[in-house]
Amino acid sequence: MYKVMIIDDEKSLRNLLKNAIQWGELGLEIAGEAASGIEAINIIDEIKPDIAFVDIKMPFMDGIEFSKLAIQRYPDLKIVILTAFSDFEYARECIGIGVCEYLLKPIVRADIKATLEKIIKKLDAEQPKKEDKEVIIQGNDTIRKIEEYISKNYTQPDLNLTSIAQTFGFNASYLSRLFKAETGKNLIDYLTECRMEQAITYAKQGMLMYLTAKMVGIPDPNYFGKCFKKYTNQTYSDFMKQYKNK
Amino acid sequence: MYKNNFRKVSVETMKHLIEKINVWFYSKTLKEKVRFLFIMLSISYITIFFLIYSFFIKRNMIDYMKENSYQSMVSIGNNLNTEFGAVSTMSQLIMTNSAVVNYLKDDAGNNTRLIQNTMMTMYDISNTFNYVSSIYVFRLDKNYINIGKEVTYINTNIIHDPEWQEEIIEKSGLYVIRVNGNGAFRTKSGEPIISFIRLINDLDTQKPIGLIAINLTTDILRNSFKDMASKDRHFCYYDDQGNILIGEEGVEEFQDMEINQKRFEQVSLEGLFSTKILSYFHVPDTPFTIAKMEYLSFIKYLSSQAIMVITIIIFLTIVCLIIVGIFISVYITNPIEKLVQYMDLLKFGWNRRGNLRLSNLGVGYLKNINNNKLIELNRLIDELLEKEKAMQKAELEVLREQINPHFLYNTLGTIADLALQNSADEVYDAIETLGNFYRRFLSKGSKEITIREEVAIVRDYLKLQKLRYEDVFEDEYDLQEDLLDIKIPKLILQPLVENSLYHGVRLKGEKGIIKVSVYEKDQRVHIVVYDSGVGMNSEQIESLMNENNNKSFGLKGTIERIRYYYDMEDVFEIRSEEGEYCEVDIKIPL
Repeated sequence: MYKVMIIDDEKSLRNLLKNAIQWGELGLEIAGEAASGIEAINIIDEIKPDIAFVDIKMPFMDGIEFSKLAIQRYPDLKIVILTAFSDFEYARECIGIGVCEYLLKPIVRADIKATLEKIIKKLDAEQPKKEDKEVIIQGNDTIRKIEEYISKNYTQPDLNLTSIAQTFGFNASYLSRLFKAETGKNLIDYLTECRMEQAITYAKQGMLMYLTAKMVGIPDPNYFGKCFKKYTNQTYSDFMKQYKNK
Repeated sequence: MYKNNFRKVSVETMKHLIEKINVWFYSKTLKEKVRFLFIMLSISYITIFFLIYSFFIKRNMIDYMKENSYQSMVSIGNNLNTEFGAVSTMSQLIMTNSAVVNYLKDDAGNNTRLIQNTMMTMYDISNTFNYVSSIYVFRLDKNYINIGKEVTYINTNIIHDPEWQEEIIEKSGLYVIRVNGNGAFRTKSGEPIISFIRLINDLDTQKPIGLIAINLTTDILRNSFKDMASKDRHFCYYDDQGNILIGEEGVEEFQDMEINQKRFEQVSLEGLFSTKILSYFHVPDTPFTIAKMEYLSFIKYLSSQAIMVITIIIFLTIVCLIIVGIFISVYITNPIEKLVQYMDLLKFGWNRRGNLRLSNLGVGYLKNINNNKLIELNRLIDELLEKEKAMQKAELEVLREQINPHFLYNTLGTIADLALQNSADEVYDAIETLGNFYRRFLSKGSKEITIREEVAIVRDYLKLQKLRYEDVFEDEYDLQEDLLDIKIPKLILQPLVENSLYHGVRLKGEKGIIKVSVYEKDQRVHIVVYDSGVGMNSEQIESLMNENNNKSFGLKGTIERIRYYYDMEDVFEIRSEEGEYCEVDIKIPL
């Protein structure tokens, strides 16, 4: 079973893709979806997809930008760009950066299937993936350094587990486990915590949400809103109001 | 009365004539005007030249003539006196001749032989002289002898009248000249004769022994001016009574000539083309007055050399005028005419700048100015074209943006999703809206539509966008009903609404409001698109109209189109507060 991730700013299009294709029959499953490149970067490490459908035109971080990052960080990830015909020049750029496939909108199921089958073959050929050797390093110092790095760099929107791991020369999943073992927290949660704590201080000052989002490294206010709600159990505006009332 | 009327009429006729000339002159082309002027100048030049020349020359000639006249009169007088001197010599020959003396001294005056002898002698002597008509020699005893070529009557009573003799005796031997011997002589033909009379004294005793009278024909007078007379110069002699003695016939001026005591006098009678100079001179020692009348004709003033000089000057002047004329023609009138034709051509188009070949100065400069104007004009036209292009481009861009696959395909995708998950009614509704939107949106023909239709497009558009982006925005409308039928340029509202969605509300991450208002204020129709999105700071608003990016494009293009359509600059206003709202206010003149 290969994992599929859908990244598109329009929910209905994500739904359509989910519902129009019999994923199970192809031996695929929808592992997750994101409404922007920003959201995708933040959750991709959890989803660990093999294939990503990426809409080329998205706010905050468009498909091209996301793909560049993704190819750099996940060399094995198969990216399928979704584009309208008029963006053909755009699509050529995709090939330039190494995106393997692109599909024209409006989507046609037969084309998607054919593309998916081609990708599955490729993935099959690459299997089995050799397991990364896991070198256990006593890492209190390292973890402290990583924590410091995160607390200093959380405002960068493209920061995620993989980029941190690459920065420190670790395997991502190993780093994740190591971090959890050392601190009792997920590294991603730690990053989010940093961002949200800062966001709370901004919210207390009455900063508008989209500006706060930008300043804490989640320039997609929609995704930021989700994160904030998850973290505080309150929407940003409610939180702001509540604080104001105090 | 009559005279006044006449004057009035003539003044009016003059005015009329001047008016006519004016109209005629102004009706001519520049070239003809210059030609006319040129000809007029030439004519007046030549005329003035002649007038001035003749005036001065005439003055000089008349003065010269007058001066000359006196000299010639004196010389004629001298001629005459010389002739009389000759006659005097002849008379002395006779007087001193022994035969004549014998005859005079003889006691009896009737000695036939002596008389015959004396007459022969007189005849012989007188024969060598011209003009002699007759010769009389009187003895103191009143006897006389005479010879003559012409039949002459004598009145002896007069001769012996002491009064008649008084002057002769006074002269005591010097001669006295009298016309017709003061009545003593008369020719048979009636022709006047001139009597030359003197006493004859005895050589020894110096006592008078007789009297001699030599009658001369008037040829003596005629010959005195014969050489000087011509067809333009006439002479005549008056006697001491002021009667014409001899003169040419048909010269009436002599009849009326006034003669007074002055020795010499002259008057000039000036005409336009000729001048008459009348002069007279009392010939000294004679009873005669010579008069002269001379014509000075216009041609006579000018010597052949002078005429040649004048001709050369006139010729040179005309050549100069022609050169100037050609110069004017080549460098001024022709270029101007070309320029005019060229300008005429320009009525039909532009951009033929510089095809005209003209010299750099003068009219060429005009051309350059003109060309500069043309450059400016072309620039303006280009600018206009550029504007028009920009406008159409903006319009096209809006269309393309909307026809572009993203909107259509994504909307189709949304509808497809509805079909898979929701009710058929919803799908039908969505497809209807999409169809409706595109029908209005793509409608050909007029570039302008009513506000009502424009709002309808926006409603459909936002309805479709709401399907795509649920929970992103709500749309509201506040429309003043009576303004909705006003026509505005097509598709000015949709790009603004699209901006509100993509660059305002959606970036905020919260559900926002997009509101379209139409109302009237201060004689303007305000079409306002409000959104509660991220807004803009003043710098962003400033740069919006100056920069080329996606965000500004929709607005900029729209504003350009509105400006062009209404031909005014002040057509919009942007009010915004960062993070709060943005409001684009389109102000359309009523």
